[in-house]
Amino acid sequence: MSLRQSPSAGRRKTRLSLERKEALQGYMFVLPWILGFIVFTSGPLLFSLYVSFTNYDFTSRMDFIGLRNYEHMFDEDPLFWLSLKNTAFYVVLMVPLTTIASVFLATLLNQKIPGMRIFRTVYYLPAVLSGVGVYMLWMQLLSPDSGLVNVVLSWFGIEGPGWLFDANWTKPAIVFMKMWSVGGGMLMYLAALQNVPEQLYEAAELDGAGVFRRFRHITLPMITPVIFFEVVTTLIGGFQIFQEGYVMSADPTTPGSPMNSLLFYNLHMYLKAFQVFQMGYASAMAWFLFAIVLVITLLNMWISKFWVHYEGGDGR
Amino acid sequence: MFQRKKFSVILVVMVLIGSTLLAACSSDKKGEPSASVSSPSNSATPGESASPSPSADKPKEKVTLDFWAHWGSTTRRPIIEKIVSDFNASQDRIFVKYSFQPFGEGWTKELAAIAAGNPPDVIIQDIFTVGQRAEKKQAVNLSEFLSKDPSVKDRFFEQLWDTVLYNNEPYALPFNTDTRFLYYNKKAFAEVGLDPNSPPTTWAELETFAKKLDKKNGKRYDRIGYHANNAGGWDLWVQNSDGKLLIDREGPHYNSDAKVEALKWVKGWDDRLGKKEMDAFKATFGSKQNDPFVIGKLAMTVQTGTFFAQIKDFMNPDDIGFAPVPEMKPGSGNWTFGGGFTLEIPYGAKHPEESWEFMKYMTDIAAQKYWGQYLFDNIANKEAANDPDLSANPVYKFATENMKWTLISPVPNNAPDYKNIANPFIEKALLGQEDPKSALDKAQAGVENLMKTTK
Repeated sequence: MSLRQSPSAGRRKTRLSLERKEALQGYMFVLPWILGFIVFTSGPLLFSLYVSFTNYDFTSRMDFIGLRNYEHMFDEDPLFWLSLKNTAFYVVLMVPLTTIASVFLATLLNQKIPGMRIFRTVYYLPAVLSGVGVYMLWMQLLSPDSGLVNVVLSWFGIEGPGWLFDANWTKPAIVFMKMWSVGGGMLMYLAALQNVPEQLYEAAELDGAGVFRRFRHITLPMITPVIFFEVVTTLIGGFQIFQEGYVMSADPTTPGSPMNSLLFYNLHMYLKAFQVFQMGYASAMAWFLFAIVLVITLLNMWISKFWVHYEGGDGR
Repeated sequence: MFQRKKFSVILVVMVLIGSTLLAACSSDKKGEPSASVSSPSNSATPGESASPSPSADKPKEKVTLDFWAHWGSTTRRPIIEKIVSDFNASQDRIFVKYSFQPFGEGWTKELAAIAAGNPPDVIIQDIFTVGQRAEKKQAVNLSEFLSKDPSVKDRFFEQLWDTVLYNNEPYALPFNTDTRFLYYNKKAFAEVGLDPNSPPTTWAELETFAKKLDKKNGKRYDRIGYHANNAGGWDLWVQNSDGKLLIDREGPHYNSDAKVEALKWVKGWDDRLGKKEMDAFKATFGSKQNDPFVIGKLAMTVQTGTFFAQIKDFMNPDDIGFAPVPEMKPGSGNWTFGGGFTLEIPYGAKHPEESWEFMKYMTDIAAQKYWGQYLFDNIANKEAANDPDLSANPVYKFATENMKWTLISPVPNNAPDYKNIANPFIEKALLGQEDPKSALDKAQAGVENLMKTTK
């Protein structure tokens, strides 16, 4: 009613309340997440930060020991550096390979040929499967003597390596396994590829650009935002690798075997926490990993300015 | 106005939902914490006794114990459930509820439950790390109970009783154990002209016999006589050499002269048979039906007593011979090693008295005998293990006798993860990338350093 009485004031009021309404609605939408974060995540998070400065062992003690855990990490624990090296090696190998593989696959699956939906489904399927079942399957496939991988290699006269039994080949074996399930990333790229405007290709074709140049100068730049997103998330996920080392070790009584080649950072952390009960030390390790990943992600964001191309024009 | 009202309604609803959720959580915690996990097959009475109203109508209140163990397979679960229900029937004061927890997972869960102050009443735990849990206040000190029943401690094999002591006080009761010994294929022995009734007694004999039993077909082996690392393990032979475990309560013993010799000897098998061939051979191990010993691809192997139960359906039992692990040289001893599980009361459990009663029953003759009889496990109770019914089976009798050669010792509290430090050096030595002597020296130093820096 007041709306009608003085139109100008009323308009302002509606606009104000509209803005506010929008903001409030926004907060409402994120509220469950914020509540969940405060109740379930931030508490343990802060607790683990505190615990990383104590000798906490779950049950008998929690004394403040300052930076002792961090000293132990850098000076006394040989497996800390080894596990960090293993993880870095894995990430450096896995991220580029899976990125190239999924972009390549997405490009192939973006062709207009009959039956494409079936191909897309088939290539996406492995991404649906996950966990220990897949690892068991791959342990069979990678079996040195009778595994399918080495049998196929032998058809071409190649004597396959011992894969999970050979410390030099365990990490490549796991990267190989990861290549099989790039479907998730592939789907993102496929969506991005379909969003590349057709007229750009037409214009380039008129100018005489071949398939390669069109890919290099149109397709790639147009999907760089998705590549950037995928690289950042795969990288973060890569640093968290754990299960593979725990399940696929050659000797089940020594997770990470053979020769600790699968002793990844998080696996080492898990063993320190739940086998040795050094929860304080494990928390310190967790925070150090957080710092590493944070630095790398910030670096990534800075570098992205030089290669990621956004169509919006406002640089965001 | 209207919009704002709508908003506040939504807000109220959300807050209500949130608080209901929280209330549900907290009431869950107060109520029955671990009862939801299991489904005991016993149709016994006061299963839901934890309900808020004290059951005044019942004449005597029974105590319900929550018992956790990792035995869930079709062979083990019925046996443990039978023992539990026998205990429940044997008295009317305590009711035990069996909860199966997947191997390893149950221990992590126990840890969380202890930290939260609401653990199970009795749990089956790892025999090597009792001291660690004693020190960390995860297990209840049993001295008080033992002083009332001092004879309980005499039930057990000595080395098993030793594992449950921390600062000379018991924190667990041993339940079962295992021992490793030599199995050989009598038919294969006869086939190559060896006497099926005289198994190898020394390392030298083992090697001579094995060479005779090898059967090569072109580049591949149809049968190998024996392989030290794949059919026994380097750790077995290294510990067999001087009868001293790689690690015990005092610390690591990796680099004695005998152990260096032993590691060289273990590597010798790869040198002779081919490392690559043997790795490929090892990769085919695993499933029971496909066990190389069962299908005749391996003529001798070192395995635990339960191995017999697993293979007896796939082989003619008369073709299976068994003998102590051959000794390094005459007189050095047929040493072997074992492991096992203990019964413990997690720290903070509500009914330690009743738990102790149950643990006594579990380690007494009837329960132990039942376990041994059906599962072929070595049991911790000496008298039960020597029971005539069990000894009637020659393999069981032999496995019990073999306990005198079986080394078991707790792992130092500050080195439960010693294998991750030491094993890589030894693996390197076995690959020929490191001299056995220096590998064992490094392993020794590595574990010593681990013990020094773990606090």
